[in-house]
Amino acid sequence: MQPLIETLMTRFPRAVLSVEADTARAEVSVRIAADRLIEVARFLHDAPEALFDHLSDICSVDYPEDRQRFEVVYLLHSLPYRRRLRLKARVPEDNPAIASVTGIWKGAEFLEREVYDMMGITFSGHPDLRRILMPEDYAEGFPLRKDFPAEGRGWRSQFDFIPRLDEAPVEQTDSEIPERDKQAFRAEAAPSSSRRREELLLNMGPQHPSTHGVLRVVLELDGERIVKATPDLGYLHRGVEKLSEGLAYMQIIPHTDRLDYVCAMANNYAYVRAVEKLLGITIPERAEYIRTIVAEMQRIVGHLFWLGTQALDIGAMTVFFWTFREREVLLDMFEKLCGARLTLNYYRIGGVDSDFTPDLVLRLKTFLDTFPEKVKEYDSLIASNRIWLGRTKNVAVISAEDAISFGCTGPVLRGSGVAYDIRKEEPYGVYDKVDWEVPVGKNGDTYDRYWIRMEEMRQSARIIRQCLDQLPAGPIIADAPQYIPPPKQHVMRDMESLIHHFIIFTQGLKPPKAETYCATEAPKGELGFFIVSDGSARPYRLKIRSPSFVHMGAFDHMARGYLISDIITIFGTYDIVMGECDR
Amino acid sequence: MTELSLRLAVSLAQIAAVMGVVMLTVMILTLAERKVLGWMQDRMGPMEVGPYGILQPIADGLKLFFKEDIVPAGANKFMFSLAPILAMVPALIGFAVIPFGPSNKFELFGITVEPFVISDINIGILYILAFASIGAYGIILGGWASNSKYSLLGGLRSAAQVISYELNVGLAIVGVLILAGSLSLVKITEAQSGGFWHWYVFALPAPQIFAFVVYVISAVAETNRVPFDLPEAESELVAGFFTEYSGMRFAFFFIAEYANMVLVSCVAAAMFLGGWNAPYPGTILEHVGLGQFAWAENIAWFTVKAYLFLFLFFWLRATLPRLRYDQLMKFGWKVMLPIALGNIVVTSIAVYLFPR
Repeated sequence: MQPLIETLMTRFPRAVLSVEADTARAEVSVRIAADRLIEVARFLHDAPEALFDHLSDICSVDYPEDRQRFEVVYLLHSLPYRRRLRLKARVPEDNPAIASVTGIWKGAEFLEREVYDMMGITFSGHPDLRRILMPEDYAEGFPLRKDFPAEGRGWRSQFDFIPRLDEAPVEQTDSEIPERDKQAFRAEAAPSSSRRREELLLNMGPQHPSTHGVLRVVLELDGERIVKATPDLGYLHRGVEKLSEGLAYMQIIPHTDRLDYVCAMANNYAYVRAVEKLLGITIPERAEYIRTIVAEMQRIVGHLFWLGTQALDIGAMTVFFWTFREREVLLDMFEKLCGARLTLNYYRIGGVDSDFTPDLVLRLKTFLDTFPEKVKEYDSLIASNRIWLGRTKNVAVISAEDAISFGCTGPVLRGSGVAYDIRKEEPYGVYDKVDWEVPVGKNGDTYDRYWIRMEEMRQSARIIRQCLDQLPAGPIIADAPQYIPPPKQHVMRDMESLIHHFIIFTQGLKPPKAETYCATEAPKGELGFFIVSDGSARPYRLKIRSPSFVHMGAFDHMARGYLISDIITIFGTYDIVMGECDR
Repeated sequence: MTELSLRLAVSLAQIAAVMGVVMLTVMILTLAERKVLGWMQDRMGPMEVGPYGILQPIADGLKLFFKEDIVPAGANKFMFSLAPILAMVPALIGFAVIPFGPSNKFELFGITVEPFVISDINIGILYILAFASIGAYGIILGGWASNSKYSLLGGLRSAAQVISYELNVGLAIVGVLILAGSLSLVKITEAQSGGFWHWYVFALPAPQIFAFVVYVISAVAETNRVPFDLPEAESELVAGFFTEYSGMRFAFFFIAEYANMVLVSCVAAAMFLGGWNAPYPGTILEHVGLGQFAWAENIAWFTVKAYLFLFLFFWLRATLPRLRYDQLMKFGWKVMLPIALGNIVVTSIAVYLFPR
C-alpha cells in the first residue's frame, strides 16, 4: 500500500491533501481536493499498480461546524490486489457539488443518488440524479444532515393518502398520467419522429405477488420485451442509518435484524464485527466457532428461502414447500438457541448471547446428516428439468467486467466467474481453520447463480460439520470490561464489575475516535458497515452497504432485451430483500 | 303432447344430468387439486371445512357468490360482463357430444333415447374444437375489457397460445379420424372396442402414441394449465386476464377452466384410450351374466380414464416450472406441429398400405 500512496502523492501533489493510515485496523484513507476527484479516481481505477476496480460504497458525513461541511467518502476495493482504500473529499455547504464518478464505476449511479437523497450533495455529470429512497416530491430537506431532527418534521400529517376529517375528499381522476412524469422511465428522451413506436409503460409493484416485497419497477415494454426497467426504491425506507445516530452501539443490533429479515444472523454478525473492529477487541475461540456455525446455518436458511422463491417465480411450486420444510428445522434450532425465529438478535459485541447446548449440537448433526439428501431432492425437481434450464440459462447475463463495475458481490459476482468471497479473501470467524471451497460460475447467467447457491448450501453444511467437530470449550463472550458488560454473577460480587456494568448501561460503551469499514459475506453479498465514531457512546455516522441496493443498480443493465417473465427471475437471482435494500 | 316436446323433455333431462355431473366434477376437482398438491408438497391441503376439508368447494362457492362484484373504472362494462359467459358456455357445451357409456338405445313413448350421449352428431369432434376456439374469445375479451395492462398482456398471450395449440390439437386427432373414418365420437369410441390393443393409442397399423403425446401437451396448453399457464402467470402478470375480476364473474372463469380440463380429459379418453371400453374384451359383468348392468362398468372405465387424465394435470402442476412466452411459441410451432404433421403422413401411409 505504501508505494501506491507515494505514487499518488507525487503524481497528484495538489489533489492529495493528506493521508491517514490506521495501522491498528489496517485501513488507509486519502483526503483529496474535491475538484480533483475525477483524475485521482480515474488513476486509482486504471493504473496497473492500483486497480481499484470495485466501488464498495459511497458514504457522506456531515460536520456542521466545519467550513467544508460535507464529506463524501468513497470506499474503494481492489479485487486483484485484495485491498481497500478510502477516498475522502470535502464540499462546502453553500455549493455542495462534486463530480460524478459514474463514468468510472457504473455502480456509482445508485450510490450517488442515495448520497444526494440523504445529504443533498449534487453530483455533476450524473445521468439521472433524482431522489431514490425518499419520495420524489419530498420537500423537507435531506434527512441525514445533522440539523434534520431524527423524529422528522411532522410530515406524516401531510401524507395525502391518510384521510383527514377536516378536508374535503380528493377528487379521483381517471385521466392519463402527464407525459413529463413518464419521462424518467423512458429509454429515449423524445420519440423518434421518423418511425412511430408504441411502447407500453407497465408499472410493476409495489403491490405485486412476486416483487419480493415492496419493490416497484417501471418497465418500458416493446411487446413483451423490455426496453428499459427503472427500479423505484424506498417503499420500505425506515431511516435505520439516521436512527442509529441516536442509539447506543448495543441498541443498534436489533435494528440490524430488520435489514435483511430473511438472514438476521448475518446482519447481526456484520454489525458486531464492525463495532469490534472499531473497539479493537478479540473474541474467545468458542464464540468465534459458534458465530461461524450460526452464520452458516443462516446462510443455508437464506439460500433455502431464495431457492423456494426463485422456483416459485419460475412457476415450480413444490420446491418452495420442500425448502420451507428444511428451513423450519433450522428455525426451530434458532428458537432453541436464542428464543426467536426470524429477528434473532443473537450476536453480541464481543461474542454471542447464549451457548450451544449438547442437545442442540446433536440436533444440528442429525440435520446435517440428512441435508445433502434434501438438496439432491430439490435438484431432482429442477436441476435437469428442461423448462428450468430454458428459463435460467442465458437469462440475465452479466459479464464479469460489468458485474465488477456495478459493484456486485456475493453469488451475483461469483456467477460471472469472479472468485470474490470475503470469507476467503479477508477471513474472519474460523473460516480459515476449516476446509471449504468457493463455487464460481462461468457465464454469469441465472443458472450459474442458481448453481452457486446450491453449492454454497453444501459447502455451508461442510463448514458447520467441521466447526462442530472442532468446537472448543471456553467462554462465549470477550473479557473487555470497559466495552462489554461483565457477567451478572461478577456484578453482584465485585465492585469493579459493578462500576463497569453501571457505566455501560447508563452511558453506553464509548469506542475510540476513529472510523472503520468492515465487510462481511452475507448470503446476498458483501454486507458492510462503515462507522464513524466521535468518541461518544453513539455512532456519529453509520452507513450500511447493503448488497441488494447495489445490485438493484445493475437491474436495468441486466433486464434490457429480456421478456417480462425474465424480470421476475432477475429479482429472484439477486435474492433481493427490500428491508435491506431500502434500510 | 307431441313428439317434439317429448324429445325436448328428454334432452333437457339429459342436459341437466350431464351438467350436474360436470359441475360436481368441477367441485371435486377444486378440492382434489388442492389435496393432491398438498400431499405432493408435504402438507395437508384444506382441512378446516368439514371432515378432511371435503366441504371446502361449497364454502369457496358461497364465498365467491357473496363477494362484491367490482367493475374497474374505465372498463367496457358490456364486454367485461360478456367475457366470463363467453368463456364458460363453450366449455360446457362441448359435453353434448361426449359418449359417457355404451350406446344402449331404448324406446320411450315412441322415440329413441340414447341415455349416455346427449346428441350423437356426425361431426362431434369438429363441434368440440369449434366451440373450444370460441372459449378463447372470452379470455381475450376479458383481458381487453378490464382496462388493465396486466389483463391485456394476459389476454394477448392467451390469444397467441390458443391459436398455436388449437392447431396442434386439431392435427393430433387427424390420425385418429383417419383410422376411424368418422368424426362422430360415438363411432370413434365404438371402433376401439375389444381390449386395450384396439385403442387408437396402441392400435395397429398406426399406433397414435405420438399424436397422443402431442394431444396431451397441447390440451394442457389449451386449458392454460401449468406449465403453460402464461395467460394467468401469477408471478408475472398478477392473475393475467382475470386480474380485475371478482365474485361470480371470477367464478365463471374458474369453472370454465376446470370444465375445460374435464372436457379435454373426456375427449382424450374417447379418442385415444377407448372411451368407455374396458381394457379387456367385453365387460366382466357380461361374463358373469349381468349383461344388463354392463353399462355401469363401461361408465366406470370412462370415469377412471378421465380422472387419470385430470390427475396428470395436478401432477404437472406440482412438478414443472412455467415456460416463457417465446419458448412456448417455439415449442408449439417447431416441435409439436412437425410431430403432428409427421404423424398424419405416417398414419395415412400405414392405412393405405394395410387397409382393414
